[in-house]
Amino acid sequence: MNKRFLSLLMLLIITAPLFAQVDRSKMPGPGPAPEIKIGDYKSFELENGLKVFVVENDNLPRISIQLTLDRDPIFEGENVGYINAAGQLMRTGTANKTKDQLDEAIDFIGASLSTSSTGVFASGLSKQTEKIMELMSEVVLTPNFTQDELDKIKKQMISGIQSQKDDPNAIMGNVRPALIYGKDHPYGELMTEENVESITLEMCNEYYKNYFRPNIGFMAIVGDIDFDDAKDLVEDYFGSWVKAEVPTNEVKASRAPLIRKVALVDRSSSVQSIVDVAYPVKLEIGSDDAIVASLLNMIFGGSFSGRLNLNLREDKGYTYGARSSLSPDEYIADFSASTSVRNAVTDSTVDQILEEMKKIRTEGVTQDELSAAQKLLTGSFGRSLEQPQTVANFAINIARYGLDKDYYKNYLKRLNSVTVEEVNKAAKKFIKPNNAFVIVVGNADEVAEGLKKFSVSGKLDYYDNFANEVDPAAKALPAGVTIESVIDNYINAIGGRDAVSKVNDLTMEMKGTVQGMEVTVKISRKAPNKYYFNLDVGGGMMTQIQKFDGEEALMSGMGQNKNLEGDDLESMKTSSIVNAFLDFASYGITPELVGMETVAGKNAYKVVLNLPNGKKSTEYYDTETGFKVKEIQVTSSPQGDQTISVEYSDYKEVDGVMYAHTIAQQVGPMNINMTVSNIEVNKGLEDALFEVE
Amino acid sequence: MKLKSLVALFLFIAVGLSNAQMKEIEFEEYDLDNGMHVILYQDNTTPIVTVSVQYHVGSKNEKADRTGFAHFFEHLMFEGSEYIERGKYFDIVQRNGGTLNAFTSFDQTYYYETLPSNQLELALWLESERMLHLKIDSTGVETQRKVVKEERSQRYDNQPYGSWQEEMFKRAFTKHPYNWTPIGSAQYIDEAKISEFMDFYKMYYNPNNAVLTVAGDIDKAESKKMIEEYFGDIKNNDVEIVRPDVVEPAKTEEVRHVVYDNIQLPGVIMGYSIPAQGTDDYYALSMLNTLLATGQSSRMYKELVDNSQTAVSAGSFPIALEDPGLIVIFGIANMGVEIDNLEAAIQKEIDKVKNEMISDKEFEKLRNQTESSYVSNFFSVSGIAQNLAQYHTFFGDANLINTEIERYMDVTKEDIQRVAQEYLKDTNRVVLHYLPKSAEAN
Repeated sequence: MNKRFLSLLMLLIITAPLFAQVDRSKMPGPGPAPEIKIGDYKSFELENGLKVFVVENDNLPRISIQLTLDRDPIFEGENVGYINAAGQLMRTGTANKTKDQLDEAIDFIGASLSTSSTGVFASGLSKQTEKIMELMSEVVLTPNFTQDELDKIKKQMISGIQSQKDDPNAIMGNVRPALIYGKDHPYGELMTEENVESITLEMCNEYYKNYFRPNIGFMAIVGDIDFDDAKDLVEDYFGSWVKAEVPTNEVKASRAPLIRKVALVDRSSSVQSIVDVAYPVKLEIGSDDAIVASLLNMIFGGSFSGRLNLNLREDKGYTYGARSSLSPDEYIADFSASTSVRNAVTDSTVDQILEEMKKIRTEGVTQDELSAAQKLLTGSFGRSLEQPQTVANFAINIARYGLDKDYYKNYLKRLNSVTVEEVNKAAKKFIKPNNAFVIVVGNADEVAEGLKKFSVSGKLDYYDNFANEVDPAAKALPAGVTIESVIDNYINAIGGRDAVSKVNDLTMEMKGTVQGMEVTVKISRKAPNKYYFNLDVGGGMMTQIQKFDGEEALMSGMGQNKNLEGDDLESMKTSSIVNAFLDFASYGITPELVGMETVAGKNAYKVVLNLPNGKKSTEYYDTETGFKVKEIQVTSSPQGDQTISVEYSDYKEVDGVMYAHTIAQQVGPMNINMTVSNIEVNKGLEDALFEVE
Repeated sequence: MKLKSLVALFLFIAVGLSNAQMKEIEFEEYDLDNGMHVILYQDNTTPIVTVSVQYHVGSKNEKADRTGFAHFFEHLMFEGSEYIERGKYFDIVQRNGGTLNAFTSFDQTYYYETLPSNQLELALWLESERMLHLKIDSTGVETQRKVVKEERSQRYDNQPYGSWQEEMFKRAFTKHPYNWTPIGSAQYIDEAKISEFMDFYKMYYNPNNAVLTVAGDIDKAESKKMIEEYFGDIKNNDVEIVRPDVVEPAKTEEVRHVVYDNIQLPGVIMGYSIPAQGTDDYYALSMLNTLLATGQSSRMYKELVDNSQTAVSAGSFPIALEDPGLIVIFGIANMGVEIDNLEAAIQKEIDKVKNEMISDKEFEKLRNQTESSYVSNFFSVSGIAQNLAQYHTFFGDANLINTEIERYMDVTKEDIQRVAQEYLKDTNRVVLHYLPKSAEAN
């Protein structure tokens, strides 16, 4: 054989110069177009209603059998996952075989057999056709669900949920449908650990009984087999499958949002943001719109050469790839434009996606773009026919979705007759930059700020991995952190228990400005709980003094004196304690570690102090430095409850203990920033300073 | 005795049938006088044609301070040529009804287009243009630098366990350039000068380092004429092609490493050094892999995932490489399972293969599974094209596409036990433990 080619090669060498030089500067044109033929299939229906489609193809000594059940989508509610579990249980044993025996039987003949809640797929060498058919029949007709196997599946499901917590694509996969379809929709509900725990064997058995019925079944048999043999086998192995009425469900419509919303899932370890601009659309399989929409999508972002990828990858270098999708669905379809980009260009990316959406709506597409998209889809249709499975899928789609029997025969003709006007009309109908969810899974600290501008309301909606709306500041606590460790860290950070215990009295002077006026504050404290506070605004324009001598409290200013009573006095008793954190319990204070939040861009442990008077105050401790960085108190005032928030920073040492030297206080809308100018410790303050007459 | 001969008979029938039923892949091959190898395969069933060019260059041809170079170069090959405008390569193929892609591995860089069969000339023009006239300019290089960094982030850095390949290879290979993976390091690409790309092109994209495969709905005579027209005048640069001749020294002790990653479930990944693809032992190891990891009755799946539920997934795969490579055995723990228990459970399965002879029945199953999966090489003309090129380049015999199954069938169950004992030794492996980042703090 090789010798023959050697001589051919010689011939080529000798004759090569005789070939006309090709003109490389011109792109070669196509030869005569080959005919694209859709292969033949044959079909029949069993008495029990099972519809069977056979595609004979002896290119390879293989056979594949696919069973698809056509049922309405089901809303699972509190038991999300039971349908999936039932689908998996189908593969875990039959009346005659344990799972081990079933696995062994399938693998022994080199076959594969997989199940889902809406079907079974088996394939292998064609010499094993009957054995494969027999195994498939056993699985479909006489499955045996056991508690043992269900428990295994549930455990795997829960592990799966856990492992997804760190997979940004899985997070997007959960959150996206929940937002665009709604969690109350079969397409939008997602599975939690609680859902999985609630799944019972009864639910799974009930599902099998209701839905594994031949009258909603389509079977495709493809490969090296004769139609007559296939028919005999199906009759033998699936003829006894009993038909029954199958429950139907109404599927609720999902609507695109009235205004554009921005949803952010914080994944602090992300080096890339996953961005998806998405919303539901109504686009039915086999509808007139479906083919036009497929061309529109191809031009917009359906391929490497789509506008989206050319812009974001080839022009800007933001991403490895960007794509859009707009595929029809029997119930409710969706549009999606998605990509993964580095954190720094997240907002620019969203901006470009929305701009491209606006542009295709307002400016439409060109004839050149349309022709290219038509060629691309014609080519992909032609290539798909290489796999005989495609012919079977076409036949099933025609039967399942009630398409015209020549739908696929006429597909290319219809595809290539679509006009620019039709695509432009579809763009206005399906591309909705103002009614979209902009969904981002990424590092909130780095990307949140830039995303606000895309939200019509100006606010970002934060979600957790399970599409629950969350407070953006809240974060999960790392393992091993306790209230004791947080307080101990704080004590160590400011100088250690010994140094802090030595503080008996303390005077602190601060300066700041409020609405343009200079403010001076002097605070003195003395152990165990004496307190003095002097506020001066505008150099004597206004003065306020508070005193607490351990028993009674007085507030004076603007010529008035007022003794504190009730709640206010009780609060004063605890808040005046010098360094209460050294021994909270002895003062009747119960601290509680409740979470982690961001304070001034850094993670901080959130601690709630339950005070003896039943009130609470909240403190935040930096996770890295250990310092207290923020405090929130709610006080009652004639105007109702008032929240006072104080942030501490710029810790500096004075006599062996660290004190915050910048104190930013916020009361309602008013911000007061104070700088500590002087601190004096253990100067032997007289009791008289604190005395209330 | 009688049972045994029955099994033997059955074996014979199984093999005999498969050979009888499989249609032989008939192909032709020859060299152009510039050294380019050509393989033609005709199958007129569907009116499509695949044109592929395989360059025998991968990450193992890179310098240690230019890792990622071959893969980066693959990106540049789509940038444009003398007669193809920048960024138009994809567009031209797609708007003529085709699809295309490329990949870079340790050993090769492979490009292909599949088009309607009346566009064969276009495909040949496209591939010949970039073999002859590639344009490398700073705009293209700058853009692709960014794109490749995002590719790395998306596929490796931002993915749970995404770093395993890098972590494994840098420990499993200390001398051989398999030390780094094809994605390489972005830093080195930033440092590379345009002239380095040109030198790389001249050496590795020379026609004598390429295999052109044309497969599908073709007329052979017409194809040959067009191939000569488009590729015949591409000059052979006659630069000596640099290939690594480093032999990775045999391991003498186990290497262990802990990686803290953004994951929830701990994972164990073990890499054992094994001989190159195409060697007798490689086939035995490949069958061993089937024993451990193919199908739900396979030993690792059955024991770790199904019975003990130690793992959510477990398995193994040999990495077929031109130079001696690795077989990777891994498990991802089920929730609440300690990593050491997971590793012990995996080890138990490895020890079992070493210590106990496989039963005839299980061996028979392996052979059936091997035969069945072998057929998947033939699913599409593009798959056949790729197989033909690889068999030619790495095995020196494209006809292995028809005969390689015999090499698998020559493996005995004694071979499987022997290679398990010989290669699955603790001293011959790298063990990676993947643990959640939260575990690092404690």
